[in-house]
Parts: sequence; structure tokens; C-alpha cells
Amino acid sequence: MILNVNGSRHEVQEGTRTLLEVLRDDLGLVGTKEGCGVGMCGACTVLVDGRPISGCLILAEQVVGKEILTVEGLEKNGQLHPIQQAFIDERAFQCAYCTPGFILSTAALLNENPNPSEDEIREYLSGNLCRCGSYQNILKAVLRAHQRV
Amino acid sequence: MIGESVPMLDSLARVTGTLDYMINLRLPNMLVGKIVRSQSPHAKLLKVDITNALQVPGVIAILTGADLGANAFYGAGIKDQGVVAVDRVRYVGEPIAAIAAESLDAAEEAELLIDIEYDELPAVFDAQAAIQAGAPTLHEKFPNNIFKHAKLRHGDLDVAFAEADEIFEDTFTSPPAQQASLEPHVSAAQWDGERLTIWTASQAPFMVRKTLSEIFGIAPEAVRVIVPPLGGGYGGKGHIRIEPLAAAMARKTNGRPVKFALSRAEEFVTVTKHAASITLKTGVKRDGTFTARQVTLYWNGGAYADASPLLVPAGMVRSVGPYRIPAVHVDSYGIYTNLPPAGAYRGAMSSQTTWAYESQMDIIARKMGWDPLEFRMKNLFVSGDRFATGEELRDVHFVECLEASAKGLGAPSSPALLPEGEGKRGRGYGVMMKSTVATSKSQARLKLTDDGMVTLFTSTVEMGQGGHTTMAQITAEALGVPLSAIKIIGPDTAITPFDSTTSASRSTSMMGNAVVAACGSMRKKLFELSAPLLETPPDQLRTKNGFVVANETSISFGDILKRNNLNELNEAGEYSTSLGLDPETGQGVSTPHWHQGAGAAEVKVDTETGRVTILRYSAASFAGRVVNPRMAQLQNDGNVIFGLGPALMEEIVFDGGQPTNPNLADYSIPSIRDIPVELTSICIESDEGEMHGIGEMTLPPVAPAIANAIEDAIGVRIKDLPITAEKILRALREKSQP
Repeated sequence: MILNVNGSRHEVQEGTRTLLEVLRDDLGLVGTKEGCGVGMCGACTVLVDGRPISGCLILAEQVVGKEILTVEGLEKNGQLHPIQQAFIDERAFQCAYCTPGFILSTAALLNENPNPSEDEIREYLSGNLCRCGSYQNILKAVLRAHQRV
Repeated sequence: MIGESVPMLDSLARVTGTLDYMINLRLPNMLVGKIVRSQSPHAKLLKVDITNALQVPGVIAILTGADLGANAFYGAGIKDQGVVAVDRVRYVGEPIAAIAAESLDAAEEAELLIDIEYDELPAVFDAQAAIQAGAPTLHEKFPNNIFKHAKLRHGDLDVAFAEADEIFEDTFTSPPAQQASLEPHVSAAQWDGERLTIWTASQAPFMVRKTLSEIFGIAPEAVRVIVPPLGGGYGGKGHIRIEPLAAAMARKTNGRPVKFALSRAEEFVTVTKHAASITLKTGVKRDGTFTARQVTLYWNGGAYADASPLLVPAGMVRSVGPYRIPAVHVDSYGIYTNLPPAGAYRGAMSSQTTWAYESQMDIIARKMGWDPLEFRMKNLFVSGDRFATGEELRDVHFVECLEASAKGLGAPSSPALLPEGEGKRGRGYGVMMKSTVATSKSQARLKLTDDGMVTLFTSTVEMGQGGHTTMAQITAEALGVPLSAIKIIGPDTAITPFDSTTSASRSTSMMGNAVVAACGSMRKKLFELSAPLLETPPDQLRTKNGFVVANETSISFGDILKRNNLNELNEAGEYSTSLGLDPETGQGVSTPHWHQGAGAAEVKVDTETGRVTILRYSAASFAGRVVNPRMAQLQNDGNVIFGLGPALMEEIVFDGGQPTNPNLADYSIPSIRDIPVELTSICIESDEGEMHGIGEMTLPPVAPAIANAIEDAIGVRIKDLPITAEKILRALREKSQP
């Protein structure tokens, strides 16, 4: 079967595997992380047709024909995506295991709602967990990013 | 350099998802490892038959207790834990066997075919039940299940209690919890003859090296431990975990590497936070001073001692609190039960002990009619005071920490009373006093090459705290080179020098000082080599921006090497402390310096639902000298947010030894919606300018500050963590229907 990932077509083996497994194991896109395996932590968040999805909860075959965006697809011409830059500028990570998931959730949020309030950001990002506790700076990064995106 | 808020050196990799965590490691011919775990909390193993499992296509080898030699046991101080279980299991989830296979599917199929027969034994799960006569014994060497009893004896307790006007006795409890780093424990091992390489997500590479060399009877140098950046540690990766098992498994695969990556459920049976019951008996006088304190701590260590022989004595020191108390006795017990082993959890042991002593501070203040803030201020240690161990306190700033926290909260919210139906508002405070590691050593090595580049070899683990960026900044300042000229390598025990551990917030201080020493040697060497070139005596030279500078001339580091026909210069530095307490009296010196932090909370309690909202939180830690202000503040903030977990939601619930919520759906950790509406924090510096770590200081005060604020708001006292809505409602009901 064919998956459209980050603007390229990839032929991958059929089988009942999760999108997360296929991205990491077959395509080597290891930016997407498994944190909990049950869709609670958001570390494996990817965008499917612009919507944030837990890669651990969806089978690869369910996203055939859709556009999948992972953290590897955010940079354009060697330039960081403004959200990535905002995460650096606001020091919005520590161990950064959760960071790709947060950045993609933020991208989806700003697509849906280019000018979110702080409450809307908290609501939208409540499915992404950061154990180091960088939330306050993540909030600032999202507010900074929305001015640039 | 020092004092500049540079971003983490590898920020780019962190936001692009390219940082090489253990989980990404792929080696040629690598096999997948899978652990087969006990389903019984306590049983004799009658049979572990792997015959059928070995027939599964793709299964390469299976490790069981039958493979193990007599030395295949480990633990910090008490070597009671087998690489896998040999003839007995002592907790649900204990490894019984391990499978190395070409695929996870094959390993999982084989797991189902391993035939395990148990002969069930009586089990005990509660620490205080485990020390009663007639309780089942876990390890014959410790018939009453007490594997560690740490004692502190300071002053005459009976006399001191007799001098008290009031005596308070309260018990505070904390449940088992999980460190829950988003990256699980991951280790890979490969043998080449009698040489072992292990890649592992560990906070203590040299501890891993020593343990593996002992288990396999090979020289420490024959074990190479490589640690990539960690996806969080928080103490959970601070001691030996799955490394012995991975290495023993790889011994059976003919040189093929095997990688084990734990599932989230496995994390919950691999290491936990000690459940604790802490009783404080405290004597006070009407003038607001203390006479005596007696502390009794029961730590539930789980089925194996693990790091507890070190942590139980640390918990003793950390249980007394930051107040002047003339007579103090402490008994700290480490106890075996049939639960998974317990280890450090961010702010090790202080998370439990601060909950106890800071909660009791408010109980005392309220009963005596004193203001909780003033009562604390009046009694807090200042430099020059003596602690209960007899050691003199220097550079302590508890008063400043508490003042800053209280000030950060701002004027009381207006109006003080919320509109009807919106609940009640209250304020509370907490202060923490924690020791770091008494005896430890850090070494650093610097290499300068003739292109002017500097490589720092360090075994400090980068786990998100910014340890490597901190060391680069210290190098830049101490050596006089731009940050861009510095590269960091490590930990890799084959090429980076010794370090005891990356834990207990010790690295900035210990490794930082080792780096400063190495930079001092390097500068001295550079001065010697450049003095003839600059026609200036060495003692009149200085370094700046990669140059040795004389009055009117200068020369770059690279040119100094070239002009001396040198390709590179190597210099090393070391910093160590060797302190400790008398095992019978707890007297001596417990720490090179003290961890100091405080917090102030303003909460809103909904009396209909019991829901607690943190309206404002203000935290302060003592940092001595801050290396990177924004990263330090992020550590401060992160500790507060992390601390909301054990305060309000975290508890592993066991049923007959079986964890019932070993996943992030049923075990909640704080999300972005749980953080305080307003959160501020600061790091306090001192004139002495000694660099301290600040990785834990603002965490332990969170739970008591919130509990104290809740009592301020609604007049009920919660003594059992976590502070859930159910407990608040129950307490409110009991208060209204006495």
C-alpha cells in the first residue's frame, strides 16, 4: 500500500500495524515517539489531513490516501517552521521527548484557530503530556508562534 | 557565558525530532528482547520450561534463572536482586525469563509457550504490616523484613519533650507512584568475546559499569557503557534497572546485540516511588520555639533493596526539616514487601518528608494561634546554626526562599471571599531542606586542538535538565573560549572519565567544579607555552575569547599549539567529597551543601465538588550562582508542575500486588490544564557564588503548600497523598457531622 508522508509517496508493506510502527520502523521517521501506547500522552501525534491523530491508535491502512505530516515534514528549505523556532525562543522543552507531538498539535491548532486565547491553547493541548513540566513555556511558544504563522 | 540564557546546545535536534534517544538505536543484526514476568506476588518457582518456546521460528535464545552464576545478584549495598528470578518470585512483574528474537511478534508468541509453575506463598504489601510478627518473610537474611534502619540521635529527647508546653503527634502518608519519564527504560547489549558494550538510558553509567563487571566477573574496563540523551529520568533511571538482564540475554546470542524497550505497563513494575508513612512527634513552647522532634519513617522498599540502602538514610536526614530544634531523634526503616522495588523519585525522599514536616508546621501554628508564615520565619535555620547531625550550616537561605515565595504570591486576592457558589480561597506555604550525595566524585577531561576547538569529555548525563549546556557554559567562562568552540562528548565509559551519578542535583556543583579544575590546568599549560611567545611571564597572562592575552599582544589557543608543534593538549580535572554520618548516632556531615526551596500557593476549593484549583503559585530555590537563568527558571517551574502530580493525582493502586492502573489513562500526570493559573518562580543567588544544582528544590514544598492552603480555605486537614476531591469532600462531611 502507498502512504503519503510529508509530501512524498512511500510504498509500505500491508499488515495490521499502527501508523506509529510504520513511520518509525519502515520509514525511519523516528521524530514521532511512543509514550504510552494508548493515545493518552500525545508523544506520537501526527497530522492526518491536517488533524492531530495519535499514531499509536490508528492503523497504517486507515490513512491510505490521506496526507500525513510528521515533525520531519515541517522544515522548509532548511528553515525551521515558525512553531519550531518559537519553541526554541521560549525554551519550551527540556527532555524534548514530547516536543514533536506538541509542535504538531500546535500546527493543527493554529490551522483551525489562527488567534487562540490562552484558554483555547490549554484546552487544545491537553492531550499532550510533558513530564518535565515545560507547559508554561509551551504556552508562551504557542502565543509567539501564532503571531508568525 | 555563566549567567547567560543561551538555548540548549542541541535545541535544533530537540525541535526537529532528530535527537538520538536510546529508543532510536539500531545496530546491525540487532535482536528484540522481551521480558517474561511473574504473575504472582510471592511464590516458589517450581518450573520454568522453555522447550516449546525455543521452537518458535525467529526465537534465538531464552534466558532463565538456570543460566545464572552465583554472582548474578545486584543492589546498592544489599545484593538481593537476581538478574532474573532463580527459584522464587517476590512481586508481580518480576522478570522470570527473557527472550531474544528476530521480531517482537516471535518473542510474544514464545512468551505464551513458556510453561511456568508457581507454588504460591503468603504475600504482604503494606510496610507496617510486613514488620508485624507472623508476616511472611521475603528474604531469609532479614526475617522481620527490615533491611535498613537508619538512626539519628541528637540531644536528650525525654528531657526536651518535658520542657515542651504542647506536644503534637501526626502521621502523614504517601502512596507508591511512578517517575513516568515519557521515554521508558531502554537498554541494548552486545558481547564481543569477553568484552561487553551496553547502550542504556541510565543516569549512572559508571554504576552500570561496576555492577556488570561484578556480575560477569570481568574487569570494569571490559564493560563499555554508552548513554545517549535521555527522555527524562527523575530518579527512575538513577540506579541499575534492566542492564544486567540485557547483558545476560546478549551473552546467549553469539555476539548479536539485543535491545529491550519497556512498555508503559512494564515501567510501573520496574521502579516506583517509595510509599511512606511518617510520624512526627514535635514539642513546642508557648514562645513559638521548638524543644524536640521525634520522627519515625516506614519506607516501603518493595521486594528488593535496590537503591534503598542509600535512600533510607538520606530520607532520615531529609525528614527533620529546616528549623532549629534542640533535640531530634529519627528512626528510618527500609522494609521489604511484595511490591515492585522503589527508588528515587524527583526530590528523592524529600517529596514524602516535606509533605510531613511542612504539613505539621501548619497544624501546630493553627492550634497555637500563630501565623504559619511568621512561625516558620521565627524558626528557620540561618547560616551558622547547627543541624541535627551536628554539622554547621553555611550559605543557607531558607528565610530568603520563603520570603521570595510569599512575596511572589502578591497581595491577597480581592475580594478575599469568593461569590457564593464559587468555593473558598486560601493560602499556604512550604519550605524544603534536602541533602545531596555525601560522598561522590566527578572527573572531566578537556582536549584542545590546534584549530582552537575544545572538546569536553564528561559523563554527566543530558536528560533534559540542560546538563551539557551548563558544562559548556562553565567551560567557556573558566577557560576563556567562545561557546561555539566547545563540543561535548559523553557519557561513554570507554572515553569519558568517571562520574558517580547524574542525580540529586549534584552535577552543576560537582561536575561543574571538575570542569573548572580542568580549565584551570589547561590555562596554566597555555600560559607556560605562550609566555615565551608573548615575552610575558605566565602570571601576567589571562585568557579571553580563545586567546591568551598579555598587556599589548595576544595569541590564539590554536596558534599556541602550532607554534609549539603540538596537535592537541589534554588536561583533566576532578572534584570529590567524602562525607558521612556515624551509623549509630547519625552525627557527622551529611552533605557538601544544602538544597533549599520554598513555595507559596493560593488555592480555590469548590466545597460542592471538592475540586481544588491552584490560582497562584510562587516558588523559590537557592541556586548559589545561576549558570543559565532561563533554563534554571524552567527547572523551577517544571518542578512545581511535576509536584502537582504527587500532590493531587498520582498513586499506583495495587490489588493483591497487581497494579490496577499501570497506564497513562488511569494513572494521571499533570497536563497543561492542571497548571496554576499564575505561576512564578525565582532562583536566589548569594555573594559566595557557589554553583548549586536546582533540579528538585521547588518540588517537595508543593504538596504541603497546597494542603496548608486548603486548610486555610475550608478548615480541613488532609494527611494522606494525593489530595483528591473525594478526600476533601469526606473531610468536609466529617467536619460538619462530628
